[in-house]
Amino acid sequence: MELLFQFLQNTGYYLADYRHIIMLCVGCTFVYLAIAKQYEPLLLLPIGFGVIVGNVPFFKGFGLGIYESNSVLHYLYFGVTSGLYPSIVFLGLGAMTDFSSLLQRPKLMLLGAAAQMGIYFTLLSALALGFMPKEAASIAIIGGADGPTSIFLTAKLAPHLIGPIAIAAYSYMALIPIIQPPIMRLLTTKEERLIRMPETERTVSRKELLLFPVIGVILCCFLAPASIPLLGTFFFGNLMRVSGVVDRLAKTASSAIIDTATIFLGFTVGASTQGDVFLTPKSVGIFALGAVAFSIATASGVLFAKLLNFFSKNKINPLLGAAGVSAVPGSAREVHLVGQREDPGNYLLMHAMACNSSGVIGSAICAGILWSFMV
Amino acid sequence: MYGIEAINAHNGWAMALAGALIVMSGLSVLSFIISQLHKVLALTDNRKKSKVIDQPSVPEPIPAATADHDLSNLEGSLTCYCDETAGLGSAFTLQDLFTVFRECDFPHPHLTIRSLKEEGFLVPTDQGKFSWKK
Repeated sequence: MELLFQFLQNTGYYLADYRHIIMLCVGCTFVYLAIAKQYEPLLLLPIGFGVIVGNVPFFKGFGLGIYESNSVLHYLYFGVTSGLYPSIVFLGLGAMTDFSSLLQRPKLMLLGAAAQMGIYFTLLSALALGFMPKEAASIAIIGGADGPTSIFLTAKLAPHLIGPIAIAAYSYMALIPIIQPPIMRLLTTKEERLIRMPETERTVSRKELLLFPVIGVILCCFLAPASIPLLGTFFFGNLMRVSGVVDRLAKTASSAIIDTATIFLGFTVGASTQGDVFLTPKSVGIFALGAVAFSIATASGVLFAKLLNFFSKNKINPLLGAAGVSAVPGSAREVHLVGQREDPGNYLLMHAMACNSSGVIGSAICAGILWSFMV
Repeated sequence: MYGIEAINAHNGWAMALAGALIVMSGLSVLSFIISQLHKVLALTDNRKKSKVIDQPSVPEPIPAATADHDLSNLEGSLTCYCDETAGLGSAFTLQDLFTVFRECDFPHPHLTIRSLKEEGFLVPTDQGKFSWKK
């Protein structure tokens, strides 16, 4: 009888408290959104299930939890805390990215830079709210709307905040269709949304595609060497893709490798959100600041496009500014859809992809800059 | 410490301003370089061509796939487009079509797709997909 009682005391049912229940509900919501609503299922499904697994109550000291040094989850989590998974994701991302639309329209790269202003605004806001500089920098990078970059920088600067920051970054990426369109509509007039972007007749040569990753990595990494782990692999992945001589490697990087890293990244980040670690006032602050960061990033891209229109004869559709955040390809798709709602014949997708891919580069540079500032 | 006092104490203004300027200038330089890249490449290509100008030139065979691609005669090229995109199924996205056109080395794939759309050869179906006009 005593043995049975002892066993019952070690079960999750006995050990559960309200924090576990809240987090289990969060996990189930993510899984529901991924499957039923198909909101970024590649991210939300592993994260959501990870949240459920990570919040099963257990008896501490058995080497089960993600924060216990001898647990299996802890070993898998090493890829997050060391910045390994984000680097691998960037390798795959590079192998998947087609820069020809950006090379045809280099001016749009400026929108990718402008959308990073949300990061610096949030840095100031986080400092003002009492976060320490390293924490503030990690929170600010959510404005880049790039999950792997946020995780990478947080792992380096404020590892204790990886859970809330990663969840906030990925949640806002999944909520792009809800967050971005109202901001885009609020800051643009109907006439501006109707602007059609000229089709470029220039075909990008293979030489240009080959030179871009080499020039890109040299220029960006010389500027912010701390972004080497992200941009180094990103441009390498892209060079494999465009070189045409290592198709097998490029295909593996853009499929099996990135998929494996995404699975473990999502699952372990989800599992790291144990109720007792995750449900703190700081997490609430991070979520609020993340929303601000993402909104300001969107707004600054749109406003910068409007500013460019003051000085340029060839008007840019300001909606494209919203694609300057690096949530690929979600924000580009949203810009395209908002444009099409006004004018079904207006095709902004390729232009938005140009901004989107420069946003990836921009947010990785910002991560490097912030890391350098904090060293 | 909170508010402006905290920002001042942690050198926040300088970090934000310097960070914003660095990323803006970095991407501006990259943008400028890639905007000039094709011109530099054209220049070097022209130099190479001028070096071999004395050699008897052999007329380059026109690839069969691109020979008939005249934007003013889209109808004539339509069969070729349909054949090349048969693998995409009856409905496809413009992005997939663009990829096929590029793989086939069709000249000006963007412009061609746009013209096909405007001339009504590409008909929108549901969920943002298109199909060829029957």
